[in-house]
Amino acid sequence: MNTFFQVALADFRESVRAKWFLIYCLVFGGAVVLLFVLGVTESRVMGFTGLSRLLITYIQLCVAILPILILISTVRSVVGDRESNILEYFLSMPISLTAYFWGKILSRFFLIFVPISAALLGAIGWGMVKSLAIPWQIAGYYAILLGTLSWCFLGLGMFISTLVKKQEWGLGLSILIWLVLLLFIDVILIGLMLQQQIEESVIVAVSLLNPIMVFRTGAVLLFDPELTSMGPASYVILDHMGYAGFLTFTILYPLFLGWLFSWIGFYRFKKGDLV
Amino acid sequence: MIEIKDLTKKFGKTTVLDGISLSVKKGDRIALIGQNGAGKTTLIRTILGQYLFDGELTVFDKNPRRHRVEILERIGYVPQLPPPIQMNVGELVKFSAAISRKSSTDAIHQQAAELGLDIGKNVKKPFQKLSGGMKQKLLIALALAGQPDILIMDEPAANLDPEARQAFFLQLIRSMEQTTMLLSSHRVDEISNLINRIVEIDYGRVVQDDPISQSRFGDKSLVCRVILTEDHEPAIRMLKDWNFEGTNGGLEFEGHFIGTERLRFLTSISRFANHIQKLNIS
Repeated sequence: MNTFFQVALADFRESVRAKWFLIYCLVFGGAVVLLFVLGVTESRVMGFTGLSRLLITYIQLCVAILPILILISTVRSVVGDRESNILEYFLSMPISLTAYFWGKILSRFFLIFVPISAALLGAIGWGMVKSLAIPWQIAGYYAILLGTLSWCFLGLGMFISTLVKKQEWGLGLSILIWLVLLLFIDVILIGLMLQQQIEESVIVAVSLLNPIMVFRTGAVLLFDPELTSMGPASYVILDHMGYAGFLTFTILYPLFLGWLFSWIGFYRFKKGDLV
Repeated sequence: MIEIKDLTKKFGKTTVLDGISLSVKKGDRIALIGQNGAGKTTLIRTILGQYLFDGELTVFDKNPRRHRVEILERIGYVPQLPPPIQMNVGELVKFSAAISRKSSTDAIHQQAAELGLDIGKNVKKPFQKLSGGMKQKLLIALALAGQPDILIMDEPAANLDPEARQAFFLQLIRSMEQTTMLLSSHRVDEISNLINRIVEIDYGRVVQDDPISQSRFGDKSLVCRVILTEDHEPAIRMLKDWNFEGTNGGLEFEGHFIGTERLRFLTSISRFANHIQKLNIS
């Protein structure tokens, strides 16, 4: 256990000095600041206003860019260490593979989750200063959603990192996966599938398998229980699962997916050549 | 301590280690030599449990893949090229001391000091910002502080200046009784006084495995006098690099080095053989 925490701490120290982490913090911290500066809390679109309006904009922003930022920063972890010979050196020390892999995941989760949740807390803090009504339930649910989304793409990133031999391949694959997932959110490809009258069960399956779609629908569901602002596939999902069922699903599914990818990644890492 | 029988390692269709058999006993100090791509690093990494392999390999009677941690507790490793670690020196020292049961920050500081590296002065410095020699000294100190039963080093002195090289070889000589060594090197002259066995690898096979007699000069300080035939600038520069000083003004120089450095010194000065009137080592 000591080694596990030592690896997590070492990876944390390594990563906070890396440029990606600085950019990552600037993007999410900057996003919230920018939304306040642009007066998003004062604007009104489809009935959302105040801090709720800011939170939904922030969460939509997270849907679009958080997965790719997590993937880009995570896919390099194992393969990057391998290419730079850091892995060779660290694994010449008495560090178990379990401690190395899961220690790295723990550290990365904190590095990813802390800035986005800090931005969320910052928004709430600023809202309190400005005497805005604080949507606590929504903020709490969003914090959980951001956590599960981070975990999901962190697992996927670690899996890709153990899969590829070169960092460039990892980055390329990450961007490809992200684009495919974005294409399969209901406004684009699923809308097209409906238009082409593809079987309903296929559309629902595709929607439910896509973590970005699940996250996006779950994020909007709290504001818009009828999903009037969403695309056609969302209606179908809501009809199938119901309000409470879908909210539970949006939390459990990305968690499961994150675990699944992490375990497959760990298995691949453990069973192959380490360097 | 290490038993290898018919060890084969392939990367795709390329066979890098081709049926190697080797037995390393306690007290063996082996120079692992061979050209680039011969398979030295692959063999070392396989012993460290980093590669899958075909054949038989045991370290301390255990499989290095299945018992990695237990085995690595007793092995010290110094890579050829320092990895680009982002941590600062103090953090790296603490990390290494916390990971290895037998190591401690005090032991690391002491080992580093003997190599001429003051960790206290560099504690806040990122490891990356250290000079090549300082990085290597620190990695050597980290490996030695763990009091390993087997010391594995890949070109360990490549980045060290002559003074640190001397201190490093002296430290190795001191630990000779307790530690089994596997030193990968392109230049056997550099480590000839440290080792008692040479294993040469070529195209993934052991082509030479011979014991060599130990030099009685190993840890002795040797005094050397050189008289040049003329004022030859490159020869003088080389002598000054070895901390030689001019005596009697002009062409006579005197300096000292430890026995393990004898062959390396002679190799260096042999380039200027035409400009040497007299050379005496005692």
